[in-house]
Amino acid sequence: MSHSQLDQLIIMANQIADNNHLDTDAESVEFIATHIKKFWARSMKEELIAYAKEGGDKLNVLATQAVMLLSEQYSSPGT
Amino acid sequence: MLQHYDPKQKGATQQNPEHMDFNKDYGTPQSLSENLITLQVDGVEITVTEGTSVLRAAALADINIPKLCASDNLEAFGSCRLCAVQIEGRRGFPASCTTPVEAGMKVTTQNEKIGKLRRNIMELYISDHPLDCLTCPSNGDCELQDVAGAVGLREVRYGFDGHNHLDAEKDKSNPYFTFDPSKCIVCSRCVRACEEVQGTFALTVDGRGFASKIVAGQDDSFLDSDCVSCGACVQACPTSTLMENNVIEMGQPEHSIVTTCAYCGVGCSFKAEMKGDQVVRMVPYKGGEANQGHSCVKGRFAFGYATHKDRIKTPMIRDNIDEQWREVSWEDAIGFAAKRLKEVQAKYGRESVGGITSSRCTNEETYLVQKLIRAAFGNNNTDTCARVCHSPTGYGLKTTLGESAGTQTFDSIRHTDTMLVIGANPTDAHPVFASMMRRRLREGAQLIVADPRKIDLLKTPHLKDAIHLPLRPGTNVALVNSLAHTIMSEGLEDKAFIASRCDDKAFLKWQAFIREERNSPEAMQSITGVDAGDVRRAARVYANAGNGAIFYGLGVTEHSQGSTMVMGIANLALATGNIGREGVGVNPLRGQNNVQGSCDMGSFPHELPGYQHVADDEARGRFEAAWGVKLDDEPGLRIPNMFDAALAGSFKALYVQGEDIAQSDPNTQHVEAALKALDCVIVQDIFLNETAKFAHVLLPGSTFLEKNGTFTNAERRINRVRKVMPPLAGKEDWEVTVALSNALGYEMNYSHPSEIMDEIASLTPSFSGVSYDRLEELGSIQWPCNEQHPEGMPIMHVEDFPIGKGNLAITEYVATDERATRRFPLLLTTGRILSQYNVGAQTRRTENQTWHDEDVLEIHPHDAEERGVNQGDWLGISSRAGQTVLRAVISQRMQPGVVYTTFHHPGSGANVITTDSSDWATNCPEYKVTAVQVEKVTQPSEWQKNFEDFNKKQQDYLKKGRRHRSEEVSR
Repeated sequence: MSHSQLDQLIIMANQIADNNHLDTDAESVEFIATHIKKFWARSMKEELIAYAKEGGDKLNVLATQAVMLLSEQYSSPGT
Repeated sequence: MLQHYDPKQKGATQQNPEHMDFNKDYGTPQSLSENLITLQVDGVEITVTEGTSVLRAAALADINIPKLCASDNLEAFGSCRLCAVQIEGRRGFPASCTTPVEAGMKVTTQNEKIGKLRRNIMELYISDHPLDCLTCPSNGDCELQDVAGAVGLREVRYGFDGHNHLDAEKDKSNPYFTFDPSKCIVCSRCVRACEEVQGTFALTVDGRGFASKIVAGQDDSFLDSDCVSCGACVQACPTSTLMENNVIEMGQPEHSIVTTCAYCGVGCSFKAEMKGDQVVRMVPYKGGEANQGHSCVKGRFAFGYATHKDRIKTPMIRDNIDEQWREVSWEDAIGFAAKRLKEVQAKYGRESVGGITSSRCTNEETYLVQKLIRAAFGNNNTDTCARVCHSPTGYGLKTTLGESAGTQTFDSIRHTDTMLVIGANPTDAHPVFASMMRRRLREGAQLIVADPRKIDLLKTPHLKDAIHLPLRPGTNVALVNSLAHTIMSEGLEDKAFIASRCDDKAFLKWQAFIREERNSPEAMQSITGVDAGDVRRAARVYANAGNGAIFYGLGVTEHSQGSTMVMGIANLALATGNIGREGVGVNPLRGQNNVQGSCDMGSFPHELPGYQHVADDEARGRFEAAWGVKLDDEPGLRIPNMFDAALAGSFKALYVQGEDIAQSDPNTQHVEAALKALDCVIVQDIFLNETAKFAHVLLPGSTFLEKNGTFTNAERRINRVRKVMPPLAGKEDWEVTVALSNALGYEMNYSHPSEIMDEIASLTPSFSGVSYDRLEELGSIQWPCNEQHPEGMPIMHVEDFPIGKGNLAITEYVATDERATRRFPLLLTTGRILSQYNVGAQTRRTENQTWHDEDVLEIHPHDAEERGVNQGDWLGISSRAGQTVLRAVISQRMQPGVVYTTFHHPGSGANVITTDSSDWATNCPEYKVTAVQVEKVTQPSEWQKNFEDFNKKQQDYLKKGRRHRSEEVSR
């Protein structure tokens, strides 16, 4: 029953989203992105960002947006 | 529980603190009154607190009145009459133990009449006592003998031929001590210790007069009775009636060293009583502030593993796990490990290696392992077993209260009016603290237990009121929200506390959320399965408690919403103002001895020591300057992430110190596959544990008896661990890490763990005032210890929170994906029992096996009947992760639909069934909820058969490796 690494990352990101519906979607997305940024290893973030960029079908809406936000933060210089 | 002198306590200064000796018995407990009374004893003027006994007052002035039935950890009893004195203006000879001091009292402790009276009493005792003093095990440590000497007993006029008890039979049923009633003087100290200190009430005095005798249970053997083998009775016995078998076999110890127990998070202080470098017995130390002179069966008796034949005493290496081990020198083993690590990093990159620090090792050792990983490996792939137990505590408490730790001292429970115990089983997992809880419950405190199981704390003798909220596994957040809803909707909150101590905006938002009808007990009842009326009643009791304290364990954290639940608990305490003073607070009960410490020491991949985030440039900069290397500013992999990465092929080498991930972590088959996928596994442990069977390098570890260092317990108390014997394999664990680091080219130079602590203090603001000298001076220190709090901080958040105001967090209930289905209709929850500890590597190699030599599956009679299951049947337990087979125990402790097991024996495969489901915030595994099916079977599971084969093969490799070495040596 073991999930692949990517499957596991998707489950984890979706779970963070499911547990953090804040007042607005923008706040939720910000929270999820910050949480992942603060607690996940570089390689995990990279893998999930790559997946989201390819469409990220299995990510829920908020998680997708959060991962895309993370992607922007990591690609902009100085972060 | 033992009362003891506390130098910080008001009013105690008059008791001459310089002369307070934790090795002396002052006869009766300390009085906590603040009023002072002056009296004269034998013409000496003494000032003591009101309520102190004459016996204790005299002892404080070093006037030592003979006594037998009195001891300063027990209430005065007044039965032996040896402590009789004369008091001016009073008739007769009152017992000084039961006579409280009065102002102006004039006491005479010695004169001819008193002397004669005492001799007469002793004469009667000795007339029914064997005169085998020279060959008696307590020779050299016998209070009866001492008192006979002190009173000058010279003859026994009654002779020895009359009726006596000299032929009474010994009870040797307990593996650790012998009960020899022929030597009993029926002073009741054992009975009272069992009641007052331990709170079990297993012993009693049966019969009257000459026929009086001490019995366990209903005249059962000690082993068959309710006795939990804590040893308080053995310690209390003034004769050789209850005696450690070790003392019977080895004789009296000749020196002792105070150190800290390496079992649970209570962190008991013990005197290791020694003969040369052999431990004769462990005696709980009265000066230890966590345990105050009490212990459990593990700490007191289960230390034999340290000298067990299975100990690994020589470093070993092998190229792959399908070949035998080769014993080599330390230098060769370290060189081999370093070479392998370098090769892996050269081939797969800097981030392809990582390590796991040990929550059983010392702070200093843990600090060094994470330093090795960050500085020498050059990445942040460090984690610790707290990942799988209390990581949600770190996250949840930091978010709400601003600090990742419990808020109280254990002793604070003396002031608690209501205790709310959630997902914890203290009588089994934190037994010494459970005794303190039970004492407070006997004094009338109320108890609320939220747990799927009817835990033993609910069966406390003389328990007054108790409410059990038997919730369904996985519904903690729903329950805590409905408790908070009741408090807020019935106006039970502490408005003044909220106004002054909590963040306004956060509170208003939370209040609006929690008051929503969907969070009411009535609405949540269908989810939690707990009667709404009971929830409301519990909320009222906690909120109106006066002092309400919450204690929680892994039943809170090991869930998909573990972190949310911790925040929900903090919300309850904040809303009711139950924080920042004695008797209240949020108290996580930590599993392993140094889980708190391993977290403090920067074991987590995202945090440097002292919970400083790796992305914090200022903090990281200080570490970079001190360590002389550039550090990664991105978090590393957590333990479960390491396994996933190993299977994905990007993670290739692992250094594990004192942790058995192959047994303790969930989804065993996944863990085993991950370990097999690694090119290099370096295990540092005292035994060939399950993880070591997958290793290429096995470095011998040292037990807590073999090294210097510190442990930090669940109250943030830093206690010294002191070396009482040399390390069996020649190196303390920190020395091994130093050697590995040096071999990798990152220089480490320490000559003693105190130097490591100095480095920790220089880099960790909450530890800046900690040093070994300071620990010697103060005994122990509760962090934070710095300029503002030079003696540490027993109670936290008194004035404010580290984040300023308390932050009430929104705690939306989200059901776990792990739920009962048609295929898996039952919920499995796992836990531990009293006699075994964690993976059992230590306790399975002691006589504690007597109580629990296999893990069983507890199942409710209803579920058993439905499946035709009888007591003792073999049951196959399947989940989506795997299958294992255990023996059935039919038990009403479980609610229908819930089954329970422990994970102390590797072959049980409890974690073959647990899944990869985890806490959303921290990846802490959801051990407490696994959907399973249970059916009768006739043979072990496939995994169990494979385990047996693999185990046999690996044991064989170890044996051959050892033989190979001895042949080489003999050549």
